[in-house]
Amino acid sequence: MSALSTSEPAGEAAPLLSMAGISKAFSGVEVLRDVRFDLRPGEVHVLAGENGAGKSTLIKIAAGVHSEYEGSIHLHGQLTRFTSPHDAAVRGISVIHQEMSLIDAMSVVDNMFLGRELSRPGSGGQWLDRAAQLRRARQFCDQLGLGDIDLLRPVEDYSLSVKNRIEIAKALAWSARIFVMDEPTSALSEPEVVRLFEIIGQLKAQGCGIIYISHRMEEIYRLATRITVLRDGRYIGTEEAARLPAPELIRWMIGRELKTHFPPRRAKLGAERLRVEGLSLLAPGSTSTGSRRWLVRDVSLSVRAGEIVGLAGLQGSGNSDLFRGIFGALGPPAQGRVLVDGQPFRVRSPRHSVRQGLAYLTSDRKGTGLVLSMDLARNVTLASVPAISPGGWVQESRERRIAAEHTQALSIRATGPTQEVSTLSGGNQQKVALAKWIETRPRVLLLDEPTRGVDVGAKHEIYELMNQWTEQGHAIVLITSEMPELLGLSDRIVAMHRGRVTAEFTRAEATQEKVLEAAMADSAP
Amino acid sequence: MRETLETQHEAELAEVERRRDGLKPLLNFLQRPWVRALAPLVLVLIIGVVFNAHRAFYAWGTHRDMLRQVSVYGILACGLTLVIITGGIDLSVGSLLGFTAVLFAQVSIHQAWPALPAVLVVLVAGSACGLVSGELISRFRMQPFIATLAMMVFARGLAKTISGGEKVSQAVLLPDGSPKYLDLPRVFSVIDSKVLGGHLAVVSIIFFACVAVCWVLLGKLRWGRYLYATGGNEDSARLSGIPIHRVKLLAYGLSGLMAAVAGICQAVQEQQGDPEAGNGYELTAIAIVVMGGTSLNGGRGGMLFTLLGAAIIGYLEKILSINAVPEAFRLMLTGGIVVAAVLFQKVRK
Amino acid sequence: MKKLLVMLVALGLAATARAADKKYVIGMSQCNLGEPWRVQMNADVKRAAEKHPNIEVIYKDAQNDTLKQVSQIREFIASKVDLLIVSPKEAVPLTPPVSEAYKAGIPVIVLDRKVTGSDFTEFIGADNKKIGRHLGQWVVKTLGGKGNVVELKGLMTSTPGQDRDSGFREGIKGSDIKIVFEADMKWLEPNARKEMESALATNPHIDLVYGHNDPGAHGAYLAAKAAGREGEMKFVGIDGLPQEGQAYVRQGILSASFEYPTGGDVAIEKALEVLSGKQIPKEIVLDSRVFTKDNVDSGGEWLK
Repeated sequence: MSALSTSEPAGEAAPLLSMAGISKAFSGVEVLRDVRFDLRPGEVHVLAGENGAGKSTLIKIAAGVHSEYEGSIHLHGQLTRFTSPHDAAVRGISVIHQEMSLIDAMSVVDNMFLGRELSRPGSGGQWLDRAAQLRRARQFCDQLGLGDIDLLRPVEDYSLSVKNRIEIAKALAWSARIFVMDEPTSALSEPEVVRLFEIIGQLKAQGCGIIYISHRMEEIYRLATRITVLRDGRYIGTEEAARLPAPELIRWMIGRELKTHFPPRRAKLGAERLRVEGLSLLAPGSTSTGSRRWLVRDVSLSVRAGEIVGLAGLQGSGNSDLFRGIFGALGPPAQGRVLVDGQPFRVRSPRHSVRQGLAYLTSDRKGTGLVLSMDLARNVTLASVPAISPGGWVQESRERRIAAEHTQALSIRATGPTQEVSTLSGGNQQKVALAKWIETRPRVLLLDEPTRGVDVGAKHEIYELMNQWTEQGHAIVLITSEMPELLGLSDRIVAMHRGRVTAEFTRAEATQEKVLEAAMADSAP
Repeated sequence: MRETLETQHEAELAEVERRRDGLKPLLNFLQRPWVRALAPLVLVLIIGVVFNAHRAFYAWGTHRDMLRQVSVYGILACGLTLVIITGGIDLSVGSLLGFTAVLFAQVSIHQAWPALPAVLVVLVAGSACGLVSGELISRFRMQPFIATLAMMVFARGLAKTISGGEKVSQAVLLPDGSPKYLDLPRVFSVIDSKVLGGHLAVVSIIFFACVAVCWVLLGKLRWGRYLYATGGNEDSARLSGIPIHRVKLLAYGLSGLMAAVAGICQAVQEQQGDPEAGNGYELTAIAIVVMGGTSLNGGRGGMLFTLLGAAIIGYLEKILSINAVPEAFRLMLTGGIVVAAVLFQKVRK
Repeated sequence: MKKLLVMLVALGLAATARAADKKYVIGMSQCNLGEPWRVQMNADVKRAAEKHPNIEVIYKDAQNDTLKQVSQIREFIASKVDLLIVSPKEAVPLTPPVSEAYKAGIPVIVLDRKVTGSDFTEFIGADNKKIGRHLGQWVVKTLGGKGNVVELKGLMTSTPGQDRDSGFREGIKGSDIKIVFEADMKWLEPNARKEMESALATNPHIDLVYGHNDPGAHGAYLAAKAAGREGEMKFVGIDGLPQEGQAYVRQGILSASFEYPTGGDVAIEKALEVLSGKQIPKEIVLDSRVFTKDNVDSGGEWLK
C-alpha cells in the first residue's frame, strides 16, 4: 500500500531541509529504512505515526543526536552531516523537547544563551556580555508574549507553558530557521495551547519551517500544512493536510481502520467505592499560618464501583493535587476525610493508601511512575512486592508468571519479563505502569493522563482496559487533558477550577463547551 | 577455466563468510556483561603471571594472603554496595571501623568480656552509628554525603575518646608508670587464624559470609527489591507504597553493621584497637564497589560485582607488593587500573 | 567548654604569677596528638612538670594542621606565656611565629623537628640517622656479619624515613648483610603486615626484619607468625615507647627496640634552667637507648 504524493507545485520555495534514503539501525535492529522527509519554509510539516514508528529517531538524526546513519541530508540545498546537537543548533535547527532541555536552576537569560553566550568584543569570547544577553533575551521574550518575565529568575520558578515559550525564545535567540516540536502541547492547558499555536503562526510567517509531532488529531488538522506518515520504520507517504482526511491518515498510520473511537461503556454501577468529604489540601511547606497556600479547597466527590468519573480542569485547577492528596502523597490532609467502601481511612502516606486499595497512576511515568533501571517484571510487581514475597523471600517464578499474564492481558510488546523498561516504547511503558497498579487489585484507580504520549493503537487498548476494569468492579477517577477522551470515557464529569469543584455533569449532559466553561469559570466565593 | 576461477573465488568468499560467522559467537561472548566485568580481573591476573617474582604468584599462599588482606576492605564494600544501590554514599565506614576496632579491643582485652557479648556490643554500636546516619538522611533530608561526612568525623573522635588517643592493646601502663600485660582473648586468635589446612583465613570466610548475606538480601529478599527501587527512582518507589524511610535506615544500618564486622576483623589482625585504624579505607571500599560496576547513581549493581571489584583491587595490591614496586609507581598504577576497570564497565552499556 | 575554662584559669594564673613570683606558665604547642609517639611526648612533659609545683603547662594540639599550629603559637604569644615549647609540624611555615615569640622576649624550646634560622633558644631532638646507624651495627653484631634482612620503611618521602634508612645502610656497610626485600609501609601496622606477607612469599630465608617503627616490626611479626615462620627470624624496630616497643620486647616479639626519645622531660629540665637565668646550648642531641629482653626491665642500655 503506497499512497505516495509526488505532486510538487511549481515555483515552490526550495526546501530548508531535505532528508533522503535515511536508514538507521541500533545494534543490528533496523529502526528506519529508506525514509525521506523534507521541510519547506513557512510550513508546519506534521510527522505522524504510532509510537515506535521511527519518528523520534528521524528527528534525532535531523537534530544531530545520531550522527551515524545511511542516507543524505541537505540543509538549504547543501549536503551536510550534523556532528552533534550543538552543531545542528548552531546551524539553525532547534528542538523543542517533550522533556524540557532547560536547566532548572539557571536563570532564564543564562538558559537562553547556554552554549552560545554573547561575549564582549576583544575578550576572545571569554568575557560574558550580560547586558547584551539581557537586551536580546528581552526582545525575543517580548515577541513571544513573555513581556513580564523576570529574566534573572531561575526557570524552575515558571510554569511548564512559560518554560515552553522560553525554549522557543531560546531557539529564536540562536536564530533558528527549523523548529522541531515533539508533543509540545502534552502538558499544556487549552489557553496555553492556543498561545503556542499563535506563536507557531508567527514562526510560519517569518519563513521558518516546523516539524511537528503530535498524537492529537485535532492539533494535527489545526496546524498541518503537510503530513508525512511513518510506520514500523518505513516511509508510508506525504500529503497535503487538506487532501488527507482523518480516517485515511489513521489508516496510513496503523494500516487498518479504527472502528469506533471510544468503546461503549458496559459496566454496571455498584455501591459507593470512594467518597471524599470536604477535602482541603495545603501546598507542601506552607503549613505556617502566615503563608498558607491552598491547592485544593473543600472538595467532595463520590465514585461508585464500575464507574468512571472524569475530573476536568486546566493547568492549576488542582485536579492532580487532589489525586496526590487522596493518595497521601501530600501527607495528612488539612481538612476533610476520605472513605473507601464506606470505611473512613486516615490519609497518611502512599504506603498506607496502597494497603487501603487505592492506586495512583501519575502523569509522569518516567519521573514518578516507573523505576527505569529495573526490568519489566519488577516494575509490574513494584507496588505489590509483599504479595509475592511471603516471609520476605521474593518468589521470582511467581513474579515472572504475573508479569507474563499482564504482558499478555495488556498486550505489552517486550522481549520478555527481564527487559529493562527504559528500553520500552512510551506506550508500552505506560501499560507497565498500569499493570503495576492493576496487580495491587485496587478498589479505586486514580488515573492521571493514562494515555499521555501513547500512540493511537495503544490508546484504544487502554480505553478497552479501563472498560474491563470497571466491569470487574473497580472504580476509576480520570484526569485527561484531551477533551474528547474525557467526554468519551467518563460516566460523570466533575469540573474543577482553582482547587474547587465548579460543576458536575452526567454523561448525557456534558458537552465540550459546557465542561470547558465550568473549568474556566471562577466559582463565586 | 574461467568458471573454475569464479567458483574458486566464490569458495573463498564463502570461507571468509564462514570465518566471520565463526568469530561471531566469540564476539557475542565478549559482549556479555559478565565477560566484560571479568576482563579487568583477567588483565590484572595476566600482569601477575608475567611479573611473578620468585614464582610467588603460583603459590596458593599468595592468593590466600591476598584474600585476607582485601577482606576488611571487602566487608566495608559489602555495606557500601547496599547504600550505593539506594543512591546514597557512606563516607563514615572507615572511621566506624576505627571506632569499633577500639571498642572491641577495649571491651575484650581491657574489660576481659567474653567473646559473644563483646562481639554483640560492637555490632550493635556500629549499627547504631549507621542508623543515626540513616535517620539524618531520611528524616532530616540531609544529603548522604554531608550526613556521613559528619558521622565520619564524629566516629573518629569517638574512637580517640574511648581509647584516650592511644592504641588499645595488651600493654597497659599502671598509674605509677609501670607496665602490665593483659592476656589476649581467645577470640582474637580464633578470628585471626586459618582453616582448611591453613588454606583460607577466617577473616576471608567472614568476608564471603558478608557477601553471601548481602547477595541474598539484594537478590532474594523483599527488602533488597526495595533498595533497588529506592535507588532507581525514589519518587516512583514512594508512590508505589515502598517504605523509603525504613529502606534507608536498613541500608545505612547494615553499612554500619558491616563496618563493625570489619572493625572486629581489623582489631584481631592487629591484636589491638588503633584509633587511627581505617583512615581512608572508605575510598578503597568505594573504589571496589565502583570497579565492580555498581552505579553511583543508584538502582543498578550487585554483590557479585563487588566481589569482583575486591578481587581486582586485592590482586593489584598483592602483585605490586610481591614485586616490591616503589610507592610512587604503585599509586600511579592503581589509579590507572581503577580508570581502566571503570571504562570496561562503561563499554558494557 | 572545659578547655576554655582551663585556659581562663591558666590566664588568671598567668596574671597572678608575676605577683606571687616564681610561678611560671609554659605553653606547649604540639603538632599532632594523633600519633602515639607525640602523645608520649606530651606525657613526658607532663610527668616532668608535675615534679615542679611552680610551673604550669598549657597544652595545645594543632591536629596535624600547620596553619592551626601557627595561630596557636600566636595565641600563646598574645597571652604572654613565660616560655614556649614547640614541636613543629613543618620547619618553614612555623619559623615566623617562633621567631615572633623569640623576638617578643619569650624563650622558645623547639622539640623534635627544627625550624629554620636561629630565632629560638634551644633545639632538642634525636638523630634518626644515628639511631639507624646504631641499629645497623647491632644487626651486624647479632647476625654475625651476614644474613638476609627485610626492611619495612616508614614513608620514604619523609625525613625520618629517609634518615632511618640511610643510617641503617651506613651501619651495615662492609658486612655481608643483604636487604632482600624493602617496601614503604607508611608507618602503619596493617600495611607492614601486608608487605611482610609478600616478603615471606618471595623469600624462603629471612634472618631479620627491620621496621622503621615498632608497629611496623610488630605487623611483620604477625605476618610471620601467621605463616608459621616467626621462629626463623628476629624483629627489630624503632621508637621504644613503653606501651609499644618496650612492651613488644618484654613479650619476646621484638628482639630489640631502639628508642627515639621524645625529649619531653629534657625540655622541662631545660625550661627551668632558662627561666632561672642560666645560659643553655643552642642545640641538644638526645641520647637514645636500646631495649632488649635482658635490659628492658632495668631501663635499657644507652647508646654511645
